Amino acid sequence: MLKEETVLEINRIKSKYHNGQSSLLPALYVVQREHGWLSQDSMSAVGDLLNVPIATVKGVSTFYSMFRHKPMGRNLIQLCTNVACMIMGAERLADILKEKYGLEPNGTTPDGRFSLVIMECIGACGTAPAMLVNTDFYENLTEENIFSVLEKYK
Amino acid sequence: MITVTINGKKIELEKPVTILEAAGMAGINIPTLCHHEMLEPYGGCRLCVVEVEKMPRLQTACTQYVIDGMVVWTETERVIEARKAVLEFLLINHPLDCPYCDKAGECDLQDLVVKYGPATGRFAEGKRTHPESYDDPIIVRNMERCILCARCVRMCDNMQSASAISITNRSSKSFVEPFSGGRYDCEYCGNCLTVCPVGAIMSRMHKHAYRPWLIDKEIDTVCSFCGVGCSMVLQVRANSIVRAVPKTDKGVNKGLLCNRGRFGYDYVRSKKRLDSPLIKKNGNLEKATWSEALAYIANGLKRIKEMHGGDSIAGVISGRCTNEDGYVFQKFMRIVLGTNNIDSAAGFAYAPAQKFFEGIFGQGVTANSMHGISNSDGIIAVGGDPASINPVLGLQIRSAYQKGIPVVTIGYMPGLKRFSANRLITQPFTETTLLAAMVSELKAKRELSLEKSSFEGIIRTIPEVSINDAKDICGISADDMRGALDSMSKMNNPSIIIGMDILQRSEGHANLLLLAALIHLLNGRIYLLSELPNEQGLIDMGCLPDMLPGGRHLTVESFRRRYEEFLGVEVSPRQGLSLMEMIDGANSNTIRAMYILGENIVSSIPNSTYVKGALANLELLVVQDIFMTETAQLADVVLPSLSWSEKEGSYTNLERRMQRLERAVEGNGMEDWQAISEISKMLGFDMNYRSSRDVMAEIAKVSPLHKDIIYEDMAEGRCMWPYKGEPLRHGVSIEGIEVPDVQSLMMRPDKNRIYVGIDNPLFHADTLSSNSAALHSISPEPYVKISSALAEKLSIASGDYVSISTDAGSVELSIRIDSDLPENIVLIPNYFDDKGIFKIMKWKMHPVTKSPVMDFTEAAIKKIKSAAKEVSAWISLRR
Amino acid sequence: MERFLLKNIENPNSADIFEYIKAGGYKALSKALELKPSDIIDEVKKSGLRGRGGAGFPAGMKWSFAAADPKKPKFILCNADEGEPGTFKDRPILEKNPHLLIEGMIISGYALEAEYGYIYLRGEYPQAKEILENAIRQAGEKGYIGDDVLGKGITFHLNVHQGAGAYICGEETALIESLEGKRGQPRIKPPFPVNEGFLSRPTVVNNVETLANIPYIMEIGADAYSKIGSPDCPGPKLYSVSGHVKMPGVYELPMGTTLREIIYTHCGGIRSDKKLKAVIPGGISTPILPADKIDCPMDFINMPKHGSMLGSGAVIVFDDTVDLVKVCYRAIKFFEHESCGKCTPCREGIGWLRAILERICSGSGAEGDIDLLMEVAKNIMGKTFCPLGDGAASVVQSCIKNFRHEFERHTGKHAKAGV
Repeated sequence: MLKEETVLEINRIKSKYHNGQSSLLPALYVVQREHGWLSQDSMSAVGDLLNVPIATVKGVSTFYSMFRHKPMGRNLIQLCTNVACMIMGAERLADILKEKYGLEPNGTTPDGRFSLVIMECIGACGTAPAMLVNTDFYENLTEENIFSVLEKYK
Repeated sequence: MITVTINGKKIELEKPVTILEAAGMAGINIPTLCHHEMLEPYGGCRLCVVEVEKMPRLQTACTQYVIDGMVVWTETERVIEARKAVLEFLLINHPLDCPYCDKAGECDLQDLVVKYGPATGRFAEGKRTHPESYDDPIIVRNMERCILCARCVRMCDNMQSASAISITNRSSKSFVEPFSGGRYDCEYCGNCLTVCPVGAIMSRMHKHAYRPWLIDKEIDTVCSFCGVGCSMVLQVRANSIVRAVPKTDKGVNKGLLCNRGRFGYDYVRSKKRLDSPLIKKNGNLEKATWSEALAYIANGLKRIKEMHGGDSIAGVISGRCTNEDGYVFQKFMRIVLGTNNIDSAAGFAYAPAQKFFEGIFGQGVTANSMHGISNSDGIIAVGGDPASINPVLGLQIRSAYQKGIPVVTIGYMPGLKRFSANRLITQPFTETTLLAAMVSELKAKRELSLEKSSFEGIIRTIPEVSINDAKDICGISADDMRGALDSMSKMNNPSIIIGMDILQRSEGHANLLLLAALIHLLNGRIYLLSELPNEQGLIDMGCLPDMLPGGRHLTVESFRRRYEEFLGVEVSPRQGLSLMEMIDGANSNTIRAMYILGENIVSSIPNSTYVKGALANLELLVVQDIFMTETAQLADVVLPSLSWSEKEGSYTNLERRMQRLERAVEGNGMEDWQAISEISKMLGFDMNYRSSRDVMAEIAKVSPLHKDIIYEDMAEGRCMWPYKGEPLRHGVSIEGIEVPDVQSLMMRPDKNRIYVGIDNPLFHADTLSSNSAALHSISPEPYVKISSALAEKLSIASGDYVSISTDAGSVELSIRIDSDLPENIVLIPNYFDDKGIFKIMKWKMHPVTKSPVMDFTEAAIKKIKSAAKEVSAWISLRR
Repeated sequence: MERFLLKNIENPNSADIFEYIKAGGYKALSKALELKPSDIIDEVKKSGLRGRGGAGFPAGMKWSFAAADPKKPKFILCNADEGEPGTFKDRPILEKNPHLLIEGMIISGYALEAEYGYIYLRGEYPQAKEILENAIRQAGEKGYIGDDVLGKGITFHLNVHQGAGAYICGEETALIESLEGKRGQPRIKPPFPVNEGFLSRPTVVNNVETLANIPYIMEIGADAYSKIGSPDCPGPKLYSVSGHVKMPGVYELPMGTTLREIIYTHCGGIRSDKKLKAVIPGGISTPILPADKIDCPMDFINMPKHGSMLGSGAVIVFDDTVDLVKVCYRAIKFFEHESCGKCTPCREGIGWLRAILERICSGSGAEGDIDLLMEVAKNIMGKTFCPLGDGAASVVQSCIKNFRHEFERHTGKHAKAGV
């Protein structure tokens, strides 16, 4: 289920902690990076690797909103619409993503290029509105510059 | 001393407790939902809020500890408003489907709303919807009713330690589910059902079948499945058990049950139950009246006794029979038929092991309270998975591990996988080598007596085995072995939990000696795992070829005389035959008749073909059972028995605690002891018992161990060894211990071969479980467990079918993959007709213990067909 | 005022250890290692430093509790899970001045005799993770971290642990649960983390900014430190300002700077010279203040006297174009999403608030809805397991208390669709 290097990385992570379960979140991140999301099979593989019951793995992973439990597009747009971003026009950005790409919150474009997740605060309130594309921050977004940003992601 | 005032009432306390507990002591009831007495405080529902003077916020009584001088008010206006608010919150997403909810009438939420309101709701929005899940054969999940108190999850995590369910998602989108999202992949203990305060997790077995207030009666009794002897309450309606539930304050199990105990009771109502005596006529078993059948048996036994002598007759009794059945049966065999040919499967390993340990350490050495396990300073489990064989005892080990007590497991124990820091899974035939290495290491750490006659003198003779030599033979790394020894050497009074697998080997007698050495060196307390509810009781009742009631050896004349005086009849001093010898005897015509009480020996001993042949050879085979077992099919006369819930009497569990069975439903049949005493009467010996109480009264007179015991003594689990009686207080003596040549028994497996051994499944226990629709639906299919490495080598995946062949035969099974198993070991349970491991194991009697040898057997494995559909790895193993 | 916490951050290489050392970094550590651990704790107590996460608990006192507990090992955890909407004050330290935090953690570790530290970093800061890990590696290479810190025979190991999108993990016991690989639900207190924290061992959880203040205290001494800003809660404070100001951003100012000074002096006033309508002063779980209530010193002591709280010092400024009903709705949506689901009033009550506000915002608010909102908020306030519920209730209560007329415009016969 997991690639050999993924298993090695998870084992390396395990050594940073005093107990197996502490490495659960980091291990899920590693697997999510590899597969884009967490399937039943991959959660089960992580559980077996860390000796954590698989139901616990699922309970934990679904608690955190940054773990995905369905397949995602190639690029993940995480757009903040919390208060500071909202008053600076973030909702309009969500609307135009729909207009331009047909992208709904929690949805994926038919070509699998983008998925959109609406975020609670991402700590860029002073430069609102803001979003993360994969792990890159984009701030001071406008209706105009958001497309030039997204065009970089294929 | 702490003084608190609750609602104006002064309460004095020795130590700080929660406000909830303090109020409880003062008889003040504070309502709760997420709190449960078996679980740690949670503080989630916020219903138990109370006002505490000098604290501005309301406090939850379940989490707030009292301090000296605290003044608490539990029913102020502010408190009542807050409770009403909590209930209103809980109801906004609740479906309010009480009219067809099975919980109605025993629902905490319903009761609380009746008490506090609100009578109307102000929530105008749509409720959360979540379809009721019927994906599981046993458990229905209705997440619309769930109030997220997490009692089920906490029970599963902290008490059952199975962690098979969890809360998924967060916030108001949370719900409880098993990993699959549908079917449970769990141990099916059903303990989550016990703690669910609403109708969110319920049993399908009584879905829409009745209302709680329609239950006719509740009967306190003990479970019929294994040697733990869990207390349970059978709820009965219209002469049918509708539910088996534990009580949190009762018994060895204190509110816990396992899958078999909780759901397995439905075999009682099985359509396959025998309902009439049968007599074989022209090769067919045909219905007969009780009088006909009993007369047939009496005449047959009389004829054979007269022609061939009493010793040509043999009796076998099942560990599911009561003490009363056992006592009457051995009395019948000894007094009426004049033979000591009495045995049971308890005699295979349990009785010899107990006898061996008692010989060294004294009588009663295995009588240890189960709760001692979680209070010991170390645990060593060996010879079979306690969490499968005696599940509720297994929970003690899990709980101990979670408290930080070191646990060492020797052998394959999937139920303790997450509960042991030192897991040693040995290669076939190498337990002896491992144990010898352990004894070598541990004895080097202390001074041993030079006295040859002491047990330490014997320990000195055990050959030295170094870790280096042992590691390759056993297939365990030196580090793992040292780690385990390190844990063990720190233990001062560990619990040593012994499963019978390790004793039922060719080298079983050597293993027994080595275990005794370990026990001595570590000052261990012994627990013998017991698969059946009354194995210990049968031993105590003298259902062994060499023992009389009360644990007295037949061969000691003074003991025997006492019985003869009491019963006014002579008892033969000749040791009887063991069960294995009886079958050999049947095969060679020295045994002409067998009387089998509740035991399905065709399927409980290897090799089934041989056993069948031997039984077919008998002139008279009497079988008394509740089902038409493979053994009953061979009988000349079959008598229908009563199930455990239909009879009265007592069981003695593996702690040697005596507990009472109460009749819950009326069955169609006769108690075992009753049928026997009828036959006895026909043979001219009137036993004259009117009830099981009369039998117990006689036991209390005859058996020095059970002196003066009456049923009332057994209430509340109080009847613990050594009762009020006279255990043998002989000095510890090693006379008569045969010291096997350990060196010659240190076998090596051929690493290039595959070996098949016995799996101990959690969901099955002989004919009872296979006749329980519930247990069958949990685990419907026979299987073979193989390692992931072997699966890869053979290119087989979960669910594929393979054939496993040995010299003795071949079976076809679907596979389950467990990465824990060594590559060359495959395991098959023994609980599916014609598909069990005993079909492919050889008949072999151990020369010393006279028990069947169940060694690992060389096998060939090959794929025969693929699974119907792909099965995920995580599903395969857990089912 | 001279900046300490944000010193040097304009330097594009400020996260590099050489730049940090060049600017005087890690001197406080050397100084601290000359002291006895208990002396450092006394110094921190004397400095009057209060935790910067929001509750304002005296840091030195927290430390002394953990130090007094004999259980071993001990842990120092850095709470870098800043999730309170409006808050981005820790981000410049994490991304631009990571060694300051690391230095503070090593000193804390030494003072507490904690051999292990973890930085619990919110998942939404992926860059900070790399920067911190790189900085920790550099610090290890320089001998500041490891089995023999600066040759003093002291052990300190530090790791970054990434959260995964759960606001509640900013609550310290939830953070510990999360670090243990569990669902981030708060624990019952007592026992407090200082006695039974991570893996049931004594554990101190401090905010990034709190720990970043430690080297400063070591450097200038407790006496000098205690003279900065408000007397009862001294020290430099990071204020993160967002919304309709001309120059939003993170400002390092003496604790107790007034809200008016922050908005008008430091941030240049309201953007496009519109009128100020309201301010959320400390992140969205602190009560909203109307425009005429901004002459309040922003510290832990004074803010409650002015009807709000300092919280994380996250100022969100609203001009008169903003519809506060919608702000309230969005804030409640946030709290609903972030409720851990453990306790009834928070899990069910906030969802109910959201449903009512949703109705109001869509123009179908009914006559009694405002009273119902207040009633539901009252039933949440003070009755939840942790303060998250209080935060949600106070948003509704303070919005309605101060701007009831805006709600009235949307309900009953005044209701009009589309806020």
